[in-house]
Amino acid sequence: MAIADVKEYTHLSEEDVEQLGRELDSIRAEIEESRNAEDAAYINRLIRIQRGLAAGGRVAMLASAHTRAGRPALVAGAAMLGVAKILENMEIGHNVMHGQWDWMNDPEIHSSNWEWDTAQPAEQWKHSHNYVHHQFTNVLGHDNDIGYGILRMAREQKWHPANLGQPVYNALLASLFQWGVALHDLDLERIRKGEKDPKEMKRQLRQILRKGRNQVLKDYVVYPALSGPAWRSTLKANAAANVTRNLWSYVIIFCGHFPDGALHFTEEELEDETRAEWYLRQMLGSANFEGGRTLHVLSGSLGYQIEHHLFPDLPSNRYPEIAVKVRALCEKYDIPYTIGPLHRQYGQALRTIMKLSVPNSWTSSDQPEPPSPVRDRRRKSDAERPTRRPELGAWSRSPRERSA
Amino acid sequence: MDAAPRSFDELPTDPAYGVPVPFAAGTEVGATVRDLDKRRVTQCALSRVCGVCGATLGRPLAFVGSRRELDRLSFHFPPSHVDCVESLLEAYADVVDPVLGQDTRPGDWVVVTAASFEFVRPGRDDVDRRPLFEPRIPALVP
Repeated sequence: MAIADVKEYTHLSEEDVEQLGRELDSIRAEIEESRNAEDAAYINRLIRIQRGLAAGGRVAMLASAHTRAGRPALVAGAAMLGVAKILENMEIGHNVMHGQWDWMNDPEIHSSNWEWDTAQPAEQWKHSHNYVHHQFTNVLGHDNDIGYGILRMAREQKWHPANLGQPVYNALLASLFQWGVALHDLDLERIRKGEKDPKEMKRQLRQILRKGRNQVLKDYVVYPALSGPAWRSTLKANAAANVTRNLWSYVIIFCGHFPDGALHFTEEELEDETRAEWYLRQMLGSANFEGGRTLHVLSGSLGYQIEHHLFPDLPSNRYPEIAVKVRALCEKYDIPYTIGPLHRQYGQALRTIMKLSVPNSWTSSDQPEPPSPVRDRRRKSDAERPTRRPELGAWSRSPRERSA
Repeated sequence: MDAAPRSFDELPTDPAYGVPVPFAAGTEVGATVRDLDKRRVTQCALSRVCGVCGATLGRPLAFVGSRRELDRLSFHFPPSHVDCVESLLEAYADVVDPVLGQDTRPGDWVVVTAASFEFVRPGRDDVDRRPLFEPRIPALVP
């Protein structure tokens, strides 16, 4: 299926698609031109908070070992460290490595330099996520984020008896998420098929072992050792912080592309698509969730997944204002804008995991119908389109109105 | 399959010109310096790796291209390490044809450094359907 055949937008003429692209270009230009000291202050403030939480968490754990504060301090320390890791991985590391803050020309807060607090080396993340996932978003066979190589997440993927174990694999992936991500760029599927360059595989494995070793040493050897006789408590608190971060980041990431309404694509080669078509594929393949500012910051602004996929290198603190404009464009052009509360989005992703553990014939698809009926959705030529009414800035009647 | 980065000395050699084939011109067997490999160019842009060696970029970012590209601050060749670009220009000094998708010979190329860049995908109406890199301030011409 080519992107041009996706029924969610075949009602648009080529000129509509290009016009939508131009409008998205102007949103991008507007944000680029208005990046300022307030944006820089946002990321600097967030890094200070994150480092304060991490240091406070470590100190609280040490204090719990040497004072009478005991267990409450340990619990507080684990919670602070967990939040610090979440902030570092989601809102800071992930976004810095996209180059969102390169414009500041800060020697530290730059996509070339940032190394994050998780087991996957930054270089491999920038390949598996920034390139493979963001370029081939939801393209089956290309985007390894579709099920992370172990889960069947689309009905188009062939069922295998091993998929019956999906509920178990899913639980393991969630709780060990940082290690699953660490192995992500190795591309286990290619290794299994003998397609992986052995030299590259060894190089990547060395990177992973080095980074993983340092993570383990830090959280499970050095800091526990500093706690003296209470080393076991500190080790458990660090493990709790890591598991908290793993579960949270897993939930947020699975809400980005697997709720109902986020589409998968089967086109093998999409590099010739125009910028406007690329924009469309990002919009149709992504899903947002609703929430307050704190929730969005803790989720790395991935509640604005659609905006993130449209503009992955624009500062994340600007996504809320971008989202208002993107949503208005979706309404104007009558294309889906998939959004819902976090619990519903994750619930739908979890239901998909469960349903796709069995053959397709046992279950039904949960993909919603496009905004207007399919019968209206043959791509029309510009000659077939109704007259644009410039005073309204939109078509005189939307497809939804025509079908009413 | 996405190839491993290689040091400048390990880059494959173009059979016609006898010069190193940079990462952005292709990593498959038979890659040449005549043009850029669009897939690798996109990979360089999004993975933020050097257009010459394929390893993670550093600071500043170096952009190489024709005087015309400099004038419009819009380059076809992906950002690279400064050292890699210098090695590339040195190795290409005797090439008299416009290679790597450029319309001028390497002797006329210029280098600009910057802190960041924007990656611009081609639009439907663009005559030149290749992606572009727009260096962002501060753009410094050495």
